Formats: sequence, structure tokens, C-alpha cells
Amino acid sequence: MRNYGIYVVKRFGLFVLVVFVGISLTFLITHLTPIDPVEQMIASMTAFGDTSPEAVEMMRAALRELYGVEGNLFEQYLNYWRRMLVLDFGPSLSAFPTPVSVLIGRALPWTIGLLVSCTLISWTLGNLLGGLSGYYRDNRALGALGVVAMAFHPVPYYIIAFILLLLFGFLWPILPISGGAGQNVAPGLTFEYLSGVFRHAILPALSIILVGVGGWFLGMRALVSNIVTEDYVAYAELAGVSRRRILVSYVMRNALVPQVTGLAMSLGGIFTGAIIVEQVFGYPGLGRLLVGAVYSADYSLVLGVTAISIIAVAGAVFLIDILYPLFDPRMQLS
Amino acid sequence: MRILRSLVCLAFALLYTGPVLAQSASAIPRNETLIVENPEGTIKNAGWFNIWATNAGGQSTGLHQLAMDTFWYIDPDHGLDGVWDNSLASEPPIYNDDFTEMTVKLRPGIFWSDGVEFTSDDVVFTTDTHLATNGLVRSAQHQLNVEGIEAPDKYTVIYKLKAPNSRFHSLFTVRWNAAWIMPKHIFEGKDPLTFDFNPPVSLGAYTLHSYDPNGQWFTWQKREDWERTTLARFGEPGPKYVTYLDPGPPDKRVIAQLNHDLDVIHDTSPEGVFSLVKDSPTSKGWFPGFPYGHPDPTLPQVIFNHQNTKFQDRDVRWALALALDIKAISMASYRGAATLSAIAVPPTGTAPEYYHKPMLEWLNAFELDTGKQTIKPYDATIGTQIAEMLRPSVGDQIPSEPDAITAAFGTGWWKQDQQAAAELLERAGYTRQGNDWYMPDGQRFSISVMVEGEARPVMTRAGSMIAEQWRRFGIDATTDSAQAAFLTRRNGGDFETAISWSVETWGGHPDLSFFLDSWHSQFVKPAGEVQTPRNWSRWSNPDLDKIIEQIRAISFDDPQGVELGKEFVKLAVEEMPIIPLMSYNVFTMTDDTYWTGYPTAEDPYTNPVPNWANSRYMMVRLQAAE
Repeated sequence: MRNYGIYVVKRFGLFVLVVFVGISLTFLITHLTPIDPVEQMIASMTAFGDTSPEAVEMMRAALRELYGVEGNLFEQYLNYWRRMLVLDFGPSLSAFPTPVSVLIGRALPWTIGLLVSCTLISWTLGNLLGGLSGYYRDNRALGALGVVAMAFHPVPYYIIAFILLLLFGFLWPILPISGGAGQNVAPGLTFEYLSGVFRHAILPALSIILVGVGGWFLGMRALVSNIVTEDYVAYAELAGVSRRRILVSYVMRNALVPQVTGLAMSLGGIFTGAIIVEQVFGYPGLGRLLVGAVYSADYSLVLGVTAISIIAVAGAVFLIDILYPLFDPRMQLS
Repeated sequence: MRILRSLVCLAFALLYTGPVLAQSASAIPRNETLIVENPEGTIKNAGWFNIWATNAGGQSTGLHQLAMDTFWYIDPDHGLDGVWDNSLASEPPIYNDDFTEMTVKLRPGIFWSDGVEFTSDDVVFTTDTHLATNGLVRSAQHQLNVEGIEAPDKYTVIYKLKAPNSRFHSLFTVRWNAAWIMPKHIFEGKDPLTFDFNPPVSLGAYTLHSYDPNGQWFTWQKREDWERTTLARFGEPGPKYVTYLDPGPPDKRVIAQLNHDLDVIHDTSPEGVFSLVKDSPTSKGWFPGFPYGHPDPTLPQVIFNHQNTKFQDRDVRWALALALDIKAISMASYRGAATLSAIAVPPTGTAPEYYHKPMLEWLNAFELDTGKQTIKPYDATIGTQIAEMLRPSVGDQIPSEPDAITAAFGTGWWKQDQQAAAELLERAGYTRQGNDWYMPDGQRFSISVMVEGEARPVMTRAGSMIAEQWRRFGIDATTDSAQAAFLTRRNGGDFETAISWSVETWGGHPDLSFFLDSWHSQFVKPAGEVQTPRNWSRWSNPDLDKIIEQIRAISFDDPQGVELGKEFVKLAVEEMPIIPLMSYNVFTMTDDTYWTGYPTAEDPYTNPVPNWANSRYMMVRLQAAE
């Protein structure tokens, strides 16, 4: 138990280090880009309007003060950490003065809703079908599924997204191709709104699930194919244990251990959203928010989204690290 | 196996119920709704309607087209009743003799959507708020110009200016937008920087009906008392509802219009237009055929950085212009659907009547001495050549009437003349070894052409073609895709040449001060400092300064303004500080399925490009198709 305590402390230290380095690097990268948020703002404000040069000079000074982008890089870095420690990401620069936390809070449910459900669905389906396929190797239908999974797995999900968009948005226009909910429908727990949310999620979800299922399927099939050759499985078969019980209790249960790790990593990684899928389908999640922030040089928003993502991924890894020894006696705490 | 069968059944059920599920989930009737693209995309903080605060929310969500109003509008095309419209003002601005006072007579009988009358109190409040607050979009312009404001009565305001300014009214004159008037009774006692103005109280003919909290769509409803707004002078707006939405990237906009889910596409790619023309009989562009797009009063050009020694010699700039084949650039950029301009004024709105056509004789006669010969570089037949080049593939979509060809493809451009270009470079001290050009200091003559990249593909293709043509001429030219850093780099002078624009006009009005005033040398920044709009090339010229100072001293409508504008055009031809290319053609496509009566080149009563505040005039001409 003492060993375990030391192990947890070490892992926590590593978690803190990863978060610190990750967020510091993100800060540096965003601030070293040649894009100046004040200039971007001035450019968009003066793109069409009649603005005299003297007025622009005044505007520039006012915006620098308003956005809090004065001072050198180190001062800005210290200020950023000061705010980060109380989870204050500051105001968005491209949607000033709205706080970054408000924008993230608005987009987060969409991303979590879409990606958590897609991840869980594809994980469950992929593992179930992959397990069956690895165990019942003579079944032709499952064999055909394996071929389909192999075909889908290497295809990037955004390619699937474009294909689905063309199929169901253009050639056979039966599903909405943009947005998160129906037009002119007030958000709320009404059938009209919720059915709109469901319909708008079908295509982005399918894009992610079709590819995701393939990956989990192939991984699980490979794991099961290995496990069925183990002595304890052969012994169970000779002892007359039913095939179904062998599959569920002996094979799948053991094969799922690494798959659970993969699931935790996938769930940790959802915070940056399925960026391209959200772009393709105009889905109002974090990924879309992040892309918009990058294009408008909105440091605060970029840092807010990436900080959450870094903490989530590092946190998922930390949790897996500290939970594994409790469930897998083969792990050494050395 | 039961699992597999269940999955297959579920998939089929989903597909068969799809058509039912896909029906529009809108709470308002489609046939009463005009659906328009908002090119701002999805608005991050959708619930923010305080348009006076800096970039806090969307502008062209319908907010500035349908809910805002100000004193005057200038139409970029021909207008419903002339290009100038007295909107909240009942007459044009009244200046005193030395342009230090501007009196505005307000239109009576105009009401905010909450029933409060619009009066001079609102105007005074707007001005005072801007004078007292830093950081509003128009704070600086107010603070620079306004000494004070008086309101002798409910319908008169007098601006006292700090210095003579014959163009002060342009602050309240809509081209794309302008300084909008604030509702005093709403903003009084609020912090104008942090108040979200939600729901907005409207001065326009529409008021907010609903919006997506995620910023994808905004729907406006016609006011029951629309007759108490300035738009009522032109009749009742047709659509009961107007939805502005983010339909996604160009391909999805095309799909949405093909499915009749998007009545007005703000802009798409030339290829998207060709698809719509081919597959959707109800889709129409500004022109009935090629080039379809609406020429905006904006002039894409090759911007030389005049603080780079490579471009300080007029001969070099002219040589680079003569090395170009504009037909190839037109094909590469707009697939031929470009409206060309050889002069530094966009060939749009009323500009062809004021500048391009009257100056044709001067342009045809213009001579350029290369040191070895004298050439007449202007070719008035370029537009016709492009039309004939396209006719075999596009057929009857190409106009055949000379005037229609001119309107579509421009009045002409410079001939490609590599011999003359070489002679000009040689006179500037450049040498040629084989096909490669070397600068007077012995270095290889290289040019970087900065483009925006994927954000503006048409202009990027133009830049790539220009670089290629300079390479063929023997210059080591490369394309530099700046992506999101483009604006910062352009404004900071971190480029050699760039494809962008420093010339924008009113469109409908011939006065050039909208862009030209900012070209005065007093505003040129030293290298390394950020340049203020719009003289991105940082060109300074004493003759130009004289022209600008003369324009400043006369009134906006003085006919002498056009003559001075022509002087500027001649100077810009002689000096070639930029290489003008074409108007910024916006491929706005309208769908007649639900609404008819959109503005077109044949009936140019306003700008169809829906993010312009002027597009409000479209509403009174639109009629339900059924």
C-alpha cells in the first residue's frame, strides 16, 4: 500500500508537469504567431466602413487597453497563469467582452453529447462485433463485417463525413446537413427541439461511428483471436463449459482490459471535438469554436479550449495509471 | 446473429423514416420567410446585439440590415430612387461655409419598435456617448471630429466640428455600414461597452423574432407598425420573416440552394455558380449570364510595398504590369467571370459612367516611353477577347451586345508587352542573363506575392497566376500564402507585393474620398510601423497630396470632385502605384422558388449582396412567388 501511495504521488507530479508544459507551450505558440488580434479586429472593423487614419490610431490604442494585450510576453504569461489558477480564461478577444468560459460552456455540451455518445456506441458495437468475429471465426456474416471494418477503418472520418453529406444532403436529401438543432425552434425540453437535435446529430455521429467501430472491431478481433488460443480457454472447452459462457466470462472479459484503456483515452480526447466533422456539418461544438478562434487570433479562446483538452487528456491518463494496479494484479509498482 | 438482424432492421427503419424526419423543423411558414446567408458564419456570442461595441457580436445577422438606421444611405448600385437616400434625415447634410458645422434635419414620425418616437434626443445621446466612451466602434471618429452637438428642437441637430471637414457626413452615411443611432431610452444609465442590448429595440422595419443561442441563425419579423419606419417610403416589405443563417462552406451553400433551403447565397465559388446555373432553373445571378457575380465597389489589385526599394522606380512597376496577361489572370481567378479595370477605380455602380467611359479616349491615347520606343499600352478590346474566348464553352451565357460585354467584362486593360517590359527594366538598370533578370546591385530579381490562401481562393489563384507569369518573364517570383496572418502582415508592411485592395468606393456616388483621403502622405507610416487603412502600398506623391487637399476643400456633391477624381486616375495610370485588376465580384445567387424581384444588372435598384446594410431596400421589392 505504501508503494501504491508513492506511485500515485509520482504519477500526480507527472500529471502536473504535463499540464504545465502543455499549457505553457500553447501560450507561447499562440503568442508567437504573426497574427495580432487587435490588427485582425481593426481590419474587420475597417474592412467596409469609412474610417479615417487618425481614428484607427485611436481605436488601436483603445483596443489594446480593452483587450489587456499590453505589456511584454513574460508579463502576459504571468498574468495568464494567475488567471488560470482560478480557472479564469479571461474575455474572448473575438467576441469581446464575453468571457471565454461562457463560450466554452455553450459549446461543450454539444461536443460532449455528440462525442461521448459516438465513442460509447462505436466502442460497444466494435467490441461486441469484434469479439463475436474473433470467436466465431467460421461465421460468414461476421467475416464479411470484418472486411467492411477493414475497408472503413483507414478512411479518415472527414472523408466519410463528405460522402454522407453528399448522399443524404444532396443526392437523397433526407437529413439536415448543417447546425445542431432546427431553425426557429426555441431550445427546451420539447419534442420539436429534441427531435431536431437528434436529426442534426445523425450525420456527424455516423461519420464518427462508422470509422470508430472499424477500429474497435479490428482491435477486439485481434485480441480475441489471441486469447482463444490460451490454455485456459482450451481447458474450459474440454471441461464442457458452454461456448457462450466461455466467450463472455473467459474471452471477452480479458480482452476488454486494453480496450477500456483505449476508451478512457478516447474520452479524454473529446474536448477538442471532432474538429473537421464539426466544420463539415456546422456542428456548434468545441472543435468549431477552436477553428474560429485560431482564424481570428483569439488567444484567450484558443488557450481556454486547449487548456481544457490538455487537462482532460492528462487527467484520463493519470486516472488510468492509478486505477490499473487495482484491477490488474500483473502490474508491477516498481 | 439476432444482434446483426436487429442492426440491419434499425438501419432500414432509419432510412425509411428519414424523409419524414428531414422535413423542415421550423416554427414559421417557409413561404413567408426569406432565408439569407450571413457570411459572418456562426456568431460566437449570439445574444449580443450591441452593435456599437467593438465586435461583440454579429453585424450582418440582419441586425444592421433590418434593425438599424442612420441619416443617409448611398447605394452601391443605382438605388430605388437615386443613389442618395435621406433616411433618418429628411434632407442632405447642411454645412456652413467653412465646413465646421453640419446641420441635420430629422425625419418626423419615425418610431422605435417599442413605440417610443425617434427624435434629436437619440442623436444627441449617441454622440455624447461616443464622446464620453473609448472603445466603441465609432468613438474615435466622434472624438476626432466633434466639438459638441446641439438640438434646437425635436427634429434638428447641429454638429460643431473641431476642424473643417467637408466629408463629416460620411460617418452617418451607409456604404456597407455607418454610425447607427442609439435608442436613448434603452441605453441611458447602461455601460455602452458591456450592455448586450438583448432583445434589440429596432428602428428598422423588422424586429427580432428568435435566434439560435449557438449563433447559427437569426430570424426577424416584420413590424406591425412598419409604416412608422424610414423604409415605408418605398412600400411594404414583402417577406414577413427574414432568416439570416450560416449555411456552411461554399459547397453546402450550393446544396442548400439546390434544395431550396437558402434563397440568397451571399457568395460562393465560380464553380458553385456553374453548378447552380446548370442544375437549378430558379437560381439567378446579378448578370443574366456570364459572369453572374455582382461587382462590388472594391478593387482587387497587386499592391506594391513602396518602402521596398524594388518597387520605388515607376519603370519597374510599369514593367511588371506589362509582363502580365490579364486574360490568363481572369481565367485563373474567376474562371473568366471577372469585370476588369485598368484604372484605380472599381468598374461598378455608377463609376463606369463617371470614370471608365469618359476616360476611354484618354486611355486609348495614353503613351508610355520605354526609352527605346513609345507604346500605347491600353487595349479596349480585352473584354471582348475574353467573351469570345469563353463563348465556345459557355455559349449563349456570354453576352453579345457590346455594352453588355463592357458591363460584364470591363472596358479594357493593358496589353501584355514583354518587349516593352524588358526595355523599361533595362532603363531602370536591370540586366538580363539568359531569361533571368538581375537587379542593379547584381542580385537576382525576386518577388514574393503574398496571398490569403484558402480563405480567399479566387484571389489566391490570381496571385499564383501573376507569380507564374512573372516567372515566365524571368523574375524569380514566388507565392507566399499568409493564411490567417495576411491582414496583420499587410497592415504591418511585412510583404513585397500582395493581392488585396486599397481602393474602395461608394459605388453609386462618384466621390472618391472614401478611400482617397487616406492615401495622403500625412498618413504614411515609417517602415516597421503598422499602416492605417487604406494606403497599404504606402505610396506618397506630392501631386496626389494636392489632389486630395483640393477634394477636401470642396463639397461632396461638387462636380469638380469628379474632375479631381479623373486627375487621380491619370496620376495612378502614369505612376502605376498599384496594378488594378478587377472588381471584387461577389457570386450572390438568388432563388426564385419562394421570392421574386431581386435586384439584377437589368434592374439594379440596390445591392443584392446580403451582408450590406443597403440590402434592406431589397425587402420592399420582393414578392412571394406563389
